[in-house]
Amino acid sequence: MNRTQLTRTTAARAAIASSAVLGLLALSGCGAAETGRSTEAGGTKTVSLTVPSWVGAQANVAVASYLLKKEMGYTVKSQQMGEVLAWDALSKGDIDAIMEDWGHPKEEKQYVENKKTVVKGGDLGVTGHIGWFVPKYYADKHPDVTDWKNLNKYAKDFATVESGGKGQILEGSPDYVTYDEALIKNLKLNLKPKFAGSEASQITAIRKYAKEKKPFLTYWWNPQWLNNEIEMVEVKLPEYKEGCDADLKKIACAYPNTPLQKFFNKDFAKDGGDAATFLKNFKWTTDQQNDVALMIADQKLSPEAAAEKWVKANESTWKAWIPKK
Amino acid sequence: MSSTHAGTAEATGTAQSAGDDVVFSVRNLWKVFGPKAEKIPGNAEYADLSVEELRARTGCTAAVRDVSFDVRKGEVFVVMGLSGSGKSTLVRCLTRLIEPTSGSLAIDGEDVLAMDKGRLRELRRHRAAMVFQHFGLLPHRTVLDNVAYGLEIQGMGKSERRAKAAEVVAKVGLQGLENRRPGQLSGGQQQRVGLARALAVDPEVLLFDEPFSALDPLIRRDMQEEVCRLHDEEGRTMVFITHDLSEALRIGDRIALMRDGRVVQMGTPEEIVGSPADDYVRDFVRDVPREQVMTARTAMRPPVGDEAEQGASVAPGVTVSEAIEAVVRTGGVVRVVDNGRCLGVVDHQGLLAVVAGLGADFPAATGATGTSAGAGVPRPDAATGTTGEVIPA
Amino acid sequence: MTAPTISATARDQREKPSPADGRPAPAGKFRTVLHHRAGRKLLPLAVAVLVLLPLGAALWGGGGWPAAQTVDVSGPLDDANDWVLDNRDTHPLFLYFLLHLSNSATSAVDAVYAGLAQLGWVGVTAGAVLLAWRAGGLGRSGLKVAATALAAFAVCGALGMWDPTLMTIALMIVAVAAASLVGVVLGLAAGLSDRFDRILRPVLDTMQVLPAFAYLLPFVLVFGTGTPAALLCTVIYAAPPMARLTALGMRGADAGVLEAATSLGSNGWQRLRTARLPLARKEMLLGLNQTIMMALSMVVIAALVGAGGLGEEVYSALSTVDVGKALAAGIPIVLIAIWLDRTTAAAGDRIGDSASSAAPSGRGRFLHGRWAWALVAAGTVAAAVAGRLAGARLWPEAWTYGISTPVNKAQEWITENLSSGVPVLGGTEVWSQNFTLWVLNPLHDGLTWLPWWALLLLVAGVAWLVGTWGTALTATLAMAGIGVLGVWDKSLNTLSQVLAALVVTLVIGFAVGIMAARARRFERVVRPVLDAMQTMPQFVYLIPVVALFGVTRASAIIAAVVYALPAVIRITTQGLREVDPAAMEASRSLGAGSRQQLLQVQLPLARPALQLAVNQGVVLVLAVVVVGGLVGGGALGYDVVKGLSRGEMGIGMTAGAAIVCLGLVLDRLTQPAKARARKGA
Repeated sequence: MNRTQLTRTTAARAAIASSAVLGLLALSGCGAAETGRSTEAGGTKTVSLTVPSWVGAQANVAVASYLLKKEMGYTVKSQQMGEVLAWDALSKGDIDAIMEDWGHPKEEKQYVENKKTVVKGGDLGVTGHIGWFVPKYYADKHPDVTDWKNLNKYAKDFATVESGGKGQILEGSPDYVTYDEALIKNLKLNLKPKFAGSEASQITAIRKYAKEKKPFLTYWWNPQWLNNEIEMVEVKLPEYKEGCDADLKKIACAYPNTPLQKFFNKDFAKDGGDAATFLKNFKWTTDQQNDVALMIADQKLSPEAAAEKWVKANESTWKAWIPKK
Repeated sequence: MSSTHAGTAEATGTAQSAGDDVVFSVRNLWKVFGPKAEKIPGNAEYADLSVEELRARTGCTAAVRDVSFDVRKGEVFVVMGLSGSGKSTLVRCLTRLIEPTSGSLAIDGEDVLAMDKGRLRELRRHRAAMVFQHFGLLPHRTVLDNVAYGLEIQGMGKSERRAKAAEVVAKVGLQGLENRRPGQLSGGQQQRVGLARALAVDPEVLLFDEPFSALDPLIRRDMQEEVCRLHDEEGRTMVFITHDLSEALRIGDRIALMRDGRVVQMGTPEEIVGSPADDYVRDFVRDVPREQVMTARTAMRPPVGDEAEQGASVAPGVTVSEAIEAVVRTGGVVRVVDNGRCLGVVDHQGLLAVVAGLGADFPAATGATGTSAGAGVPRPDAATGTTGEVIPA
Repeated sequence: MTAPTISATARDQREKPSPADGRPAPAGKFRTVLHHRAGRKLLPLAVAVLVLLPLGAALWGGGGWPAAQTVDVSGPLDDANDWVLDNRDTHPLFLYFLLHLSNSATSAVDAVYAGLAQLGWVGVTAGAVLLAWRAGGLGRSGLKVAATALAAFAVCGALGMWDPTLMTIALMIVAVAAASLVGVVLGLAAGLSDRFDRILRPVLDTMQVLPAFAYLLPFVLVFGTGTPAALLCTVIYAAPPMARLTALGMRGADAGVLEAATSLGSNGWQRLRTARLPLARKEMLLGLNQTIMMALSMVVIAALVGAGGLGEEVYSALSTVDVGKALAAGIPIVLIAIWLDRTTAAAGDRIGDSASSAAPSGRGRFLHGRWAWALVAAGTVAAAVAGRLAGARLWPEAWTYGISTPVNKAQEWITENLSSGVPVLGGTEVWSQNFTLWVLNPLHDGLTWLPWWALLLLVAGVAWLVGTWGTALTATLAMAGIGVLGVWDKSLNTLSQVLAALVVTLVIGFAVGIMAARARRFERVVRPVLDAMQTMPQFVYLIPVVALFGVTRASAIIAAVVYALPAVIRITTQGLREVDPAAMEASRSLGAGSRQQLLQVQLPLARPALQLAVNQGVVLVLAVVVVGGLVGGGALGYDVVKGLSRGEMGIGMTAGAAIVCLGLVLDRLTQPAKARARKGA
């Protein structure tokens, strides 16, 4: 018995030792690893874009990808990720461009100003607006609901079993820019936010309410393809003034209108050649974006097919984006 | 024979070779399991305790207690005992599959306990091979590869070891089954594979650990004959562990009977059966068909009158049952003749006394008890001058 | 509102020990109570409660966890995150180790994907089919497995999911290879060294309790999103079964065979190569099977942190609320699971058989061993070349069929008609409201009403009754850890959801399990549904659940129930089936009716299995609280999602750690000490 145990432990020791050696080998590797981008590898021209979770931004990427591929001969890689993570990836060079950004002051400061790994890419041409919305059928019945001062009056209409007597305001994905909790507190509203957790859940919930013509209050934004399907009216919050959102804890004003921005990786902006120029030139209107978004979301076309359809119909628009040879 | 008394007289812990023909020489071997096991051997305080008492006192289990014996070249040495008597531990100590606690152990005069790992592996690879009760075959390998396994471990090339294995497979009667897997064989066939695997490395000693106790009685009989046949053909030294007395008597040249870790009696089958050392052994051998084990030599008495000159004769090594047949056929006294010399005669009375187990106490059998010098043994190949060695407890 | 809750939890507490002490003792026989294992513990416990309750009330009063006793970990975590971001390009730890890891992960997956893409759809399908056939053997079973593979890949292509399927398979190949390697090395060490085994086992036990999502965050912290994080957390998540089963195989090896090998003079390495490893083959293959299944589920979940493939398809289908597309991507995942499961299971069966099958000779030899592998490779290459010559690399567009529209229509119809206005039954929304009002809210209120120290006492007491001092200590420490992390209230919210979900799961699970155990035909119908439910990515059914139940905690609970139910049903059915037939026969011979048999024989005898079902139910329910966060569950799950998507490590990791603590508490509370010992064996 002792004997077998003895050989057993030696073998075990050998196994542990060999695994340690393996680990060391992996650790020492062969010097410092490459940190940079490897998109130029193999001579093929590759552009990496991030695909945000909302459809409007998918429309940008779809059209840009289509044109880069079909008109300019690039390979396009797209990766879905959260907004903040996309900033990080942009800084690292894992992706080349963010086509639609709704404003991330913290990240902008960190990456554009401090690390200088990200550069601005100009306006997308679309103006985004976040706000609180109620369905039109409800606003028609109670026109004064569109003023925030009257919200407490109607709070009971928005109550659900989840909100415990208070009015419920539906919130979307944790990804999105929001300071509703501070707003509710500072405006002394009898509301309670309900975090749907994802845009899909929020949209499904809104559709469900709309189908049953029930009242609801939701955090929402424009451009959004669902707005073509369900008409919603914005509740006026105290007017936005420059700087009223400086201290997020004391905020008591509406969300600003955001001209949506493009951001590029610094190296891509410098060495990206035609692709970088093209993406800088990429600029369209809210309606144009919505056209594509609707095709994707409502008609369930694939992004590629939607882009193709739009590109065929709007040659004059995109011709201007492509750099002259 | 100077070596004969080595076991009893020289039990002083030296592992010197007791003669050229001794393969294994075991002296004062102990194996104790448990905490501080090394304190038990040789400690007078514990010497007389039973296994249970020892366990209660020290928490240790003494599986082998102060065992000494020699295994001679070419003999079949059987260690017999009931389960828990320490016999399986003992045989594992021989190649240090279990590390002995104390004592000395030599193979061909070389101290086994002093061997380093490499030397010990050498011993296991070439000098002593073992056959196990539960076969220990590799289920994922074919018969041929199982048999070749020992050769593979030795580092022999594939084609060479397969050729050699094929020979051995034929020798144990497994032709045609080379490509089967162990799971497809009967128990007897599997043990033949185990036997072949041990034979393939051509060891000096074969160690058997209750090899046939998992088999059906009929197949067991076959296998025993197989072992006897192999032994007759090759004369290989064998150490054979069994709990089956009849098996021990059938194949053993000499038998060591173990109880609670000690050897209580050692001797030829005839000695064990004919003159048990104590009540335990006597109890043990009571139901043995004595006429099958005892020889005419045991049953004979000195001739009276002209009995030595005439009538039928038998050899001294024939069994009592054969002698009975001769006596019945002649209707009278039969002479026991060895090389033309008449040693004595057997008659009804003497033979019946042996069968009845009256043995030494009975007047008719005087001069033929087991301890007397020159007593015969049933097997011709080990027939020279063996004496019963009763190991003192 | 609070009264029923307390009595519910109190009853809970009293019922838990009862499985351990057998039948409830009659009131008068105090002695008998004392003689039961748990009964002996009840008395000191009662004394302790009598002493501690007033003490606690006097010292700490009521209410939630005191703010003074929390440690803010989110600050340091955010700092760590920033540090990683700032130093990722310069620090040697990254340059010389982590980046190598990350780069080789990316390039390995890319290379495998490129290789698969080169083979073309003909080559890949042929390869998969041949592999399945090779694993299944020559007979009918081999053909069946091969046919399964063919059908699986054909459907993947027909659903228009060929490319994501390839990506997922590429990820799987790399992840499973790495996880198996890690698992085998750990398993070998644990199989050979007792000390290492003692260290490894509790680690593996704990890892088994952790929800898949809890693995994501640390990897995102270090590697950012993308293939490396996804791949590495998949590897870590999937390696434990391989390690566990390899160690088990090593330890369970026939001692006689090993002794025989030793007796022939083999050295340690020879013994390992020729005896130990081959003898452990069956266990190791089972480990591989489990590793593959876990890797598959993780590869899908890892879409949240940037894994491409089918998971991403499912996840992105969510953004357009496209159930049909999500399902179209979910079905291939189920099919891949079936293909891999059948293939590895067939290989496992064959190893079992090989002990009793003749080694082939002559012509048949070419269909076995190395020859067969060569044949598989050759066949794959030939098919690939043929496919390339025919100009088919991508799955032909004409052979795809979009199921999105019909599925969406069906989904809409169902949700519209079931959610409300159903006569008599009321509809799902009404149920959801009533459930929230009458079960969930009271439960939550009750938990928050309890003073924090009373809850700790409760946990300690129950854990001690169920297990040992060690169990109680672990559980209490874990519970206190939640408080220290500063997420007491959120955790109680999550806990209330988990408990509610557990009750629903157990009620439905036991009922269906009992039915399935009694009616084989019913089981045959239910089994495939359960299998699909278990492998189908949870994201797929989120939208229908929201459509039916709204953005509520009830939806989160339903998602959890759907996920945990299959395992509970399966374990229950198996447990009841495996009840000693002799006992059943005996009760039948005494004239017991089938109801009597069930209540008096089957259920009591199947108690260990039922306990296991409860434990598994808890672990699985907890595993989807994060998913619950995506459909309105809020609390910890929402925080994890928030941390993941916004890169806010502080919030995410804190919530993740709290989930882990909850997991430990619940696992210890539902797992009797004996069962734990067995689980390790």
